[in-house]
Amino acid sequence: MPTAPTREITVQTPPSPQRRRRRRPHAIANGLGKHTALIAVSAMFALPLVWMVGTSFKTAQQALVFPVVWWPHPFVWRNYPDLFAALPYFRFFLNTFIYAAVTIVGVCASSSLVAYGFSRLRWPGRDTLFYLMLMTMILPFACTLIPLFVMYKRFGWIGTYLPLEVPTFFGSSVFSTFLLRQFFMTIPTSLSEAARIDGANEFYIFSRIILPLAKPALASVILFQFVYCWNDYLGPLVYISDANSYPLSLGLSLILGDYTTNWAWVMAGATAATAPIVILFFLTQRTFIQGITLTGQKG
Amino acid sequence: MQVTAPAIRALRSPQARRLRLGLLFVSPWIIGYCVFYLYPFLATLYYSFTSFTGIGNPQFTGLANYRGLFHDSMFRTAVFNTFYYTVIEVPFSTVAALGLALLLNMNVRGQAIYRTLFYIPSIVPVVASSLIFVWIFQPSFGIVNSLLSDVHVNGPAWFFSITWSKPTFILLGLWGLGQPMVIYLAALQGVPKELYEVAELEGASPWQRLRRVTIPMISPVILFNLIMSLVLSIQYFTQAQVIENPPGSPGDSTMFYVTYYYQQAFQFLHLGYASAMAFLLFIGVIIVTVVLLRTSSRWVYYENDQR
Repeated sequence: MPTAPTREITVQTPPSPQRRRRRRPHAIANGLGKHTALIAVSAMFALPLVWMVGTSFKTAQQALVFPVVWWPHPFVWRNYPDLFAALPYFRFFLNTFIYAAVTIVGVCASSSLVAYGFSRLRWPGRDTLFYLMLMTMILPFACTLIPLFVMYKRFGWIGTYLPLEVPTFFGSSVFSTFLLRQFFMTIPTSLSEAARIDGANEFYIFSRIILPLAKPALASVILFQFVYCWNDYLGPLVYISDANSYPLSLGLSLILGDYTTNWAWVMAGATAATAPIVILFFLTQRTFIQGITLTGQKG
Repeated sequence: MQVTAPAIRALRSPQARRLRLGLLFVSPWIIGYCVFYLYPFLATLYYSFTSFTGIGNPQFTGLANYRGLFHDSMFRTAVFNTFYYTVIEVPFSTVAALGLALLLNMNVRGQAIYRTLFYIPSIVPVVASSLIFVWIFQPSFGIVNSLLSDVHVNGPAWFFSITWSKPTFILLGLWGLGQPMVIYLAALQGVPKELYEVAELEGASPWQRLRRVTIPMISPVILFNLIMSLVLSIQYFTQAQVIENPPGSPGDSTMFYVTYYYQQAFQFLHLGYASAMAFLLFIGVIIVTVVLLRTSSRWVYYENDQR
């Protein structure tokens, strides 16, 4: 049941009052141990981010002070406006957004069609083709990169986002197709049967019945695709050469070479790239986790 | 062309109709597969037997590229570095992710908060996380070495030390284990509670419950995660490319397989040579996957065994 919030699954039957009383000292010690371990691990996961944000509000000199200063003093905002003035950050931001928007359209359109064909229709050879599609997930990108580059060069696409955008309209996001297929499989077949008896054609069933039901799964696909574009470094590295066309990830990597003497700046750049995606994650956490859960199921 | 009556009937049979409909729906992927996977893959195989710079036509050279790789010491270094990274990072991150998921699954209060905390590093953009780690492990002013010097330990140069560069990349990799952890947690929550109740009634110890109930029940997910993380770490590239300048430094200690491939292809324009590397990478990935799948029948348990 993918639509159920994952939280509900964790509910466990509470121990009977008797057992709880008997176990109390042991249980407290046990709980304390668990939380100590979890808090220690949490600290290891969180500290790099805390340190990143902290450094971004320091002066260049203060970032290098020894021994370590945890709380910026003085607290400076200047790194951010300075950074945005030095780098076309908003340009990078806009480039990333356009890249994400176009590929989201491509992925939603093609992956939902393909996923439908792989889940709600029965035809000879379906499962063979489906496994072939899954196998492309383990095909190293290096195995196709050079001929693709040569081909795109002939098309005149190098320097544009087309090499990264066009394939998404042809089901290149296997992950999204897989996620949608897993979701489509959970919708009762009786729904389609009823519509077929009423004389609906398959495309009508797909677009008017199944797709509206798949909104939660589509939301996950949109989110993952957005995060993918936001993170994508390799694709733009290969195909985009003009710094004005850089997406955020590639633009951010410029900062390391140029400003390594000013770590407060570098961390301001890292924070500016991280904060939007982390905020997005907090706002959409359930959709995120459901999507991961859906693909984690065996099918 | 003359079409015979049985052929028309065959084309109109429900079977054929279903086939056409199915193919129609998956046709975007079939086109995409041919243009963006199959053709370039075959072309890579062909280029691997040629000398090619991207301009003009590839010149057929037989096995020369493969013979060249065999004698290329940098190629051996790249294979070794990638092997080193994979052999340490994959087991560590698998065990750690599974361990954390097990811990969270033990009816811990605040489970959702911990899960969120562990997951956040995996959505930090790769370039940003690379920058953060370069700063944290910065040899003279980084916080790690500052704290180490507080306890009178002379910290190494981490990313910029031949001995420590790969372990530091492994630490960076381990920071992002939230993704598999969330998948394991979801799998653990799918294990029927009755199984544990029965096991407890039978007097199974916690360790036995883990070995005999939990691990078998989630073994398909472990297999899937293992394959994906192995395939990804064999292709380790981005972080090293962002952090190390020039790529592969210091002293070739971070010259990973794909780093070298990328250098050969896009810096030296040895497209034929790089294609041979790509094809060997493919063979490597296939071997790893097949070995895992073959051994999996011994440790992976499928509930409704149909495979």
